[in-house]
Formats: sequence, C-alpha cells, structure tokens
Amino acid sequence: MPEKRIVLGNCGATDPNDIETYLGKGGFKGFIKARDRLKPGDIVDQVKKSGLSGRGGAGFPCGLKWELARNAKAKMKYLICNADEGEVGTFKDRYILSHDPFGLIEGICIAGLAIGARQAYIYLRAEYHFLNDPLCRAIAQVKEKGFLKHLDIQVFEGAGSYVCGEESALMDSIEGKRGEARYRPPYPQARGLWGQPTIINNVETLMNIPHIIANGAAWFSAMGTAKSKGTKVFSVSGDVSKPGVYELEMGSSLKELVMDLAGAVDIKAVQVGGRHGNIIPGHMIDIVLSYETCLGPGAVVVFNSKRDIIDIVHNNMHFLNDESCGKCTPCREGTEVMLEILGRLRGVEGAAGDIDALEDLAQTMALASLCGLGQEAAVPVLDSLKYFRAEYVNRIEQSLFLRSYLGEELSKSKEGER
Amino acid sequence: MGNVNVNIDGKKLRVREGVTILEAAEANGIKIPTLCHIKDQVPTGICRVCVVELERSRTLVGSCHTPVSEGMVIHTHSPKVTAVRRVIVELMLTAHTGDCVNDTNAENCVLHNLASDYEVGAPRFNVKVPRFYPAEDSNPYVRRNLSKCILCRKCVRVCASIPGKNILSVGYRGFRSKIVAGFDEALLSEKCRDCGKCIEHCPTGALSAPVKV
Repeated sequence: MPEKRIVLGNCGATDPNDIETYLGKGGFKGFIKARDRLKPGDIVDQVKKSGLSGRGGAGFPCGLKWELARNAKAKMKYLICNADEGEVGTFKDRYILSHDPFGLIEGICIAGLAIGARQAYIYLRAEYHFLNDPLCRAIAQVKEKGFLKHLDIQVFEGAGSYVCGEESALMDSIEGKRGEARYRPPYPQARGLWGQPTIINNVETLMNIPHIIANGAAWFSAMGTAKSKGTKVFSVSGDVSKPGVYELEMGSSLKELVMDLAGAVDIKAVQVGGRHGNIIPGHMIDIVLSYETCLGPGAVVVFNSKRDIIDIVHNNMHFLNDESCGKCTPCREGTEVMLEILGRLRGVEGAAGDIDALEDLAQTMALASLCGLGQEAAVPVLDSLKYFRAEYVNRIEQSLFLRSYLGEELSKSKEGER
Repeated sequence: MGNVNVNIDGKKLRVREGVTILEAAEANGIKIPTLCHIKDQVPTGICRVCVVELERSRTLVGSCHTPVSEGMVIHTHSPKVTAVRRVIVELMLTAHTGDCVNDTNAENCVLHNLASDYEVGAPRFNVKVPRFYPAEDSNPYVRRNLSKCILCRKCVRVCASIPGKNILSVGYRGFRSKIVAGFDEALLSEKCRDCGKCIEHCPTGALSAPVKV
C-alpha cells in the first residue's frame, strides 16, 4: 500500500499563514456543513459511525467520548486539543501544526459545535513555543472569517513536562496546579477541567474530523481494519535512511513503513509507540499496524543490529524515571528500582534474581499505577524480556563469571602479597 | 441516592450509592490497608496500598477513590492483590532510610506494621541513592526526619485544611520528590505553630514531637 495522505493532505499544499489558500483547497466546507445542515447530535453520530478512535495512543472511541460529554449536563463545557507531543520519537503534531493549522482549527470548531463547548484550549508543548505565534495568527484569521462565533480558542503553553501530555495531568497544568495524574473515575467527560465536562483530543484526531463531516462516515470507515478505521500518521526515526512523517492506512504492515518507505535495511528491533511502546523484534516485521496489535501515538524508532537491547531499555527507563511525576508509589519507586537493575545489567554487574525482580516490578506497576505512564513503563522491559531474553541471561552470566573471575584474581594477588 | 448491590470478598452487600469501595468494605468489617487515606477528606490515591481486584477491570483499582456501582465484584485479598501490595510495601522500604531497628516508636509506624502483616522482610531491591535527609530540628513543635518519609502527602493535606496555614507542599519531581516548606526552606516557628496535626497523621516516624530535654 502506498502512502495515503488525508490528514496530511493540505500540508505543503496550503500556506499556513494565509487562510485564503486553505479555503481555496476546500477548507471549512466540513464546518459549514456541520453548522448549517447538521444538528450537534448528528455530528456526534457521524463521528461515532466513522469509528474514529483517539490518535494520542490509547485509541478510545472518539464518538463515544463526545457523546458522553454532550449528554453531560453542565453550564460550561471545555474542549482541549492535546498538542503536548511529549512522546519521544513523535513529531507528527509539530509537522501538522506548522503546515496546516487551519485544518486543526476547523476540527476544533466542529468539535465545539458537537459537544456544546464555548471554550477551547490548545495545550501546546513548551518546546513548540515557536508555533505559538503562527497558531494565534491562524486563529485570528479564522475569527475574521466569522467561523468562531460559537467558540473561543486559547493557546495554552505547557511548561515542559512529559506527564502533562496525560489528560488528567494536562488539566491540572491548565488549572495552574502541579501537573500530576488524577484518579479515574470521574472521567474528564463527566468532570474534567475546573470540574466541568471536558473533551481532550489529540491534534491528529481533530484533523480527521473535517474530512469525516465533509465526506461522510461511510467513506471514513471503509478505510482500515475491523476495529481501527482511517489512516494513521507515523513519525519514523532511528536507523533508517529516510526518517520523517508518513501517513498510512490502518492495517498496513510495519515492514512497508520502515523498509519500503523509510528505507531501513538492517533491523534488530523496532519500538512502536514511544518510550513505553512495544518492542517488535526484526523477525516480526510483518506485523500489522492497528490498535489491535501495537500503535500508540505512532512513534516508530528503528534499531539496527549494532544496538544493544539492554542499552535501549535502560535509556527508556532513564527517561520515564526522570519524567515520572512522583505521585503514586509504584511508578515513583518502581522506575527508580528498574533503572538501578537495568543500569547494573548495562555495566555487566547483574545478579541472579534480576529478571525475576524486573518481572515482579513490571506486574505491580502495570496493575497498580495511577496513570498510563506507570502502567506502561514496563512494556518495553517485558517485551525485551520476551524476545531478547537470551541477551539478559547472557549478561547476567557474564556478570557472575566476571565477578567470580575477578574474585579469584583478587584472592591470588592477596596470596602473593602474603 | 439509592442503594446498589456489590459483592466484596464473596459477601453480598447492599450499600449506599456513591460511597467508595473502602468505605463500603470498612462498614462491613472488611479491612483494607491504607497509608494515604484521611477519613472525610477528598481521596488522592497516592500510596496504592489499598488497591483491590475489580472483576472486568484491566488494572487493580484504588479502593479509597473508586465509588461503588451496581453489580461490582470485588476481591480485597486475592493472591494478585496481595502480591502487588507486597511489592508496593517492599518498594516503600527500599528507598527508605532510618533507624527503624532501634526506633522505640517503631510499633506505631503503619508501614512497619504493614510490612510485618504482609511478611515483606528485607527488601530485595536497591536504588542508586536512597533517600537521605538530615533530620530537621529547626522547629520547636515538630521534628522532621524526611529520610523516613514515604511521600503519602497526608501532612500536606491536613496542613492545607487548616485555615491560614497550607505551609507544606511537594517539591521536585519523580523519585526526588520531597515534602517541602516554602521553597524548600527550614520549617520555622513563625509559620508553623503547635497544632501537631501533621504528626498525628504521619503514618511513619518522619514527623514527630521533639523530645524535650
């Protein structure tokens, strides 16, 4: 399957500083249709029928989320566009925001109509500060055209925390608190920002909305697999000759993406889904990319045979440990202990019980952590233990041998001294 | 609000809608251990010791903050729950430094008792740098030994519930989190007077009344 550019269709074809070029390409047709010909309930129905699921990684059905928020009774409802693209190895949202801000704003406009929100926030990652001005200019242009009468859009810049990409921590951050995950239920659709019903959608999810409204739900649901509909934008990086942003239909194989499009040749493993994504070994490269298998936010990092798997996993854990918010015990302490174990393995100082300890910790963190960061922190560890167990066992045996050998040498030299 | 039917550890119960699993269990004589829960305060779900197994749920749920709903089947002490609780307590003990062995108040330490209840023993894990902070004696009303702190944030919350106080907060991030006063300054007696609420609530020996000499 070749690339199928729907979300990225206008990237490069329109001028991000000039709304006329976007309108010339058929922009805001979806919004005008939604505003003039559809009731809010119909918009939600369309999105529901399309089978669109959240593109931020969790894959929650978008229509269902909207319906819950729409049916919630409250004076004020909020819409948040999550542009805190903190996941390591993703850069698709930056690409979209810098090339097609109008597409996103149109999606936000339609979502606002559908759930009845009057205030929308674009939560922009701190590192994307340079996109703040262009985004605000784009919003002003849309306002001038009269498309924003029902909704106020504000760009809110984060402060550089990874966990603030998690929806509940993100809301805490907007409320001015320390960005930490909240327990659920209540879900944001019932009680979110300032205790009001809130919808939080990823940039890419909202980019799909105008196309669904303009072309109909049936057109959208014809693409993809049984449970994953539409297309997905991938950010490919690592040991490939052509890293970049690629859009493929759901259900394409990983091989197509990394070998045919990105030009990877030597593949030891591919990490799909960012820092807590699955590690796919080279021999399973034919795996299909969809929510049923592995996907996450679409970060694909390729590692060639020169890379050491324990090094990769250690690096992962170093990041997650650094970014853990420190609220719940399993994540705060668990990542630290895992980092210690992996650090020792990396430095050939492993001990016999290390694999068991890693597995025990992984289970506890997955079952008891408060948010996705802790729950999924151990996914790469478990995957690497599943597919590359021999390397771990080898490393521990090396450590044991080295220690006993060095111990003998040491005692010999001591005898010599006597 | 009406009543809902739940099943906790095989007991069929009828409880008021909206109460948490913990409250429902406690009202019916089922004990769930907690470290961060303060009765009648908004739950936070920090310590994760109170997790229980909820059928048809992907993960274990925190009983202190999950409200009951119709038809819930809950296991508070299944092997899965016990295993997870044990690892959590073990994790808390791992980074914990202090003189628990010769501490005369060790029997008052909730963590200490929990560890013996769950037969945790000496933790098998290690961390690169355990938490160690010198004990702070700057305040005549409260002695802070943050090496023993398990970051349950009870002190932060009770302090915030006293009008005009709200002295303590959480500083730093992740493993390096610490309960701080102001911008991690010494807790001076101008700010903190002798209410002793935080000492009352501290589950470990991190906060204590100074010994009068």
